[in-house]
Amino acid sequence: MWSFVKLVFLFVLATVFHWAFASGFSLWGMGVNMMLVFAVAFCAVLKPVCGYPAAFVCGLFLDFFGTKLFGNNAFTFTVAACVVYGLSERFDFDGIFPQMLTVFGLTFLVGALNSVLIWWFASAVVWPGLWSLLGGAVVSALLAPGVFWLVRRTLGKGAVCRQV
Amino acid sequence: MLSIKTKSSKKRAPGTRRRFLLPVTFLLLSFLLMILPLEGFVSSVKAVLAYVFIPQVRLAHGTTKYAENVYETVRELLDAHRENRELKQEIEMTKLLASQAEAILDENGRLSEILNLKAARRWKGVWAKVAYREPTQWNTVIIDKGLKDGIRERSAVISMEEGKEALAGVVVETTENTSKVLLVRDEDFSAAVYLERGQEEGLLTGNGPRPVRIKYIPLLTQVEKGDKVFTAATSSIFPAGILVGEVSGVREDESFQTALTVNVEPQVRSAAVKEVFVISDDGGGR
Repeated sequence: MWSFVKLVFLFVLATVFHWAFASGFSLWGMGVNMMLVFAVAFCAVLKPVCGYPAAFVCGLFLDFFGTKLFGNNAFTFTVAACVVYGLSERFDFDGIFPQMLTVFGLTFLVGALNSVLIWWFASAVVWPGLWSLLGGAVVSALLAPGVFWLVRRTLGKGAVCRQV
Repeated sequence: MLSIKTKSSKKRAPGTRRRFLLPVTFLLLSFLLMILPLEGFVSSVKAVLAYVFIPQVRLAHGTTKYAENVYETVRELLDAHRENRELKQEIEMTKLLASQAEAILDENGRLSEILNLKAARRWKGVWAKVAYREPTQWNTVIIDKGLKDGIRERSAVISMEEGKEALAGVVVETTENTSKVLLVRDEDFSAAVYLERGQEEGLLTGNGPRPVRIKYIPLLTQVEKGDKVFTAATSSIFPAGILVGEVSGVREDESFQTALTVNVEPQVRSAAVKEVFVISDDGGGR
């Protein structure tokens, strides 16, 4: 129960960070996706039974602001969670480099996938541009170690966490 | 060994299925949300989510705004800190200046006191006001102090003009409460004086409306316009060292002269004599 409360707290914190960074870096044309970073961190720390719903809800939160399509972010975040759980067999997410690399790659993947989904389902082109995606991915990757540390520090070795 | 492997693989099977079941469920759910029209069910889901997410959105927005304000506030605080430091320095400087001003004020007071004492030490006497001025004799005035105040005949009278004290005249008559003063320009006035440059002495005499003259200055004496003239110690009436005036010129119209005659502009003009100091005792300076 306590772990669930902490998870909710982290989710609220993620929304705050996402709002702040997305607004701040949009001035430089960079699409920083802090919700994705938190979702990846959740998946890296939590058991799949908690990680997948957490990633899905994070995506759903972003879908809430969408106008063209609903559910695309939930879909892409679930895909990202699948990738993280798939990589967790090979990567040690305690290291900074795997954290940054994963976040960098997934930011690209999620961005591209979202564009494809919106184009496919809503027939709208929402390609943010390479610079926006690349800059956002770099910033997200740089912030990833901090987010991973925060999530791991907050959730610790609770019942919802994976035993590495 | 094989049995163990088989056993373990059998054990893994439900977990593996669950592992796939979860993402597939969420992927299907999100896919369902995507294919459904935005109206109807999706809008209902959005409405429900609004109750869940709006507080967080507000919190996030509020926090971001607060963070933006924090930057401004910190900057303002830093500015205020810098300004405060500068103002403190300014206050310290002002305090220093105030203490210096106080010291100067004290010094000024002391010096003023010393000057007053000095004047009192040099010449003892009484201050008097010009009470009356003869309409036909501009070079004679009557003052409001007399014998009762210690004024005697042949007392030196000094006055102030442009902040300088200088010889104004001499008391020629006294009554109980008044005295008559003969001013420097009067033709009957005379005093032993010396020139500041060279210290040569001569006899200063009034000349009515014409310039006051100094007679009997040695011929080769170097005299220049603006040289100051003081009462000499050889005078039987006036204490030595009282400023009389400045040299305004040298008369050269007299042939067969054996001495120079120097014109002097008195420091105190006759019309400017209003308050006078009558010296009753020169403190032994004479």
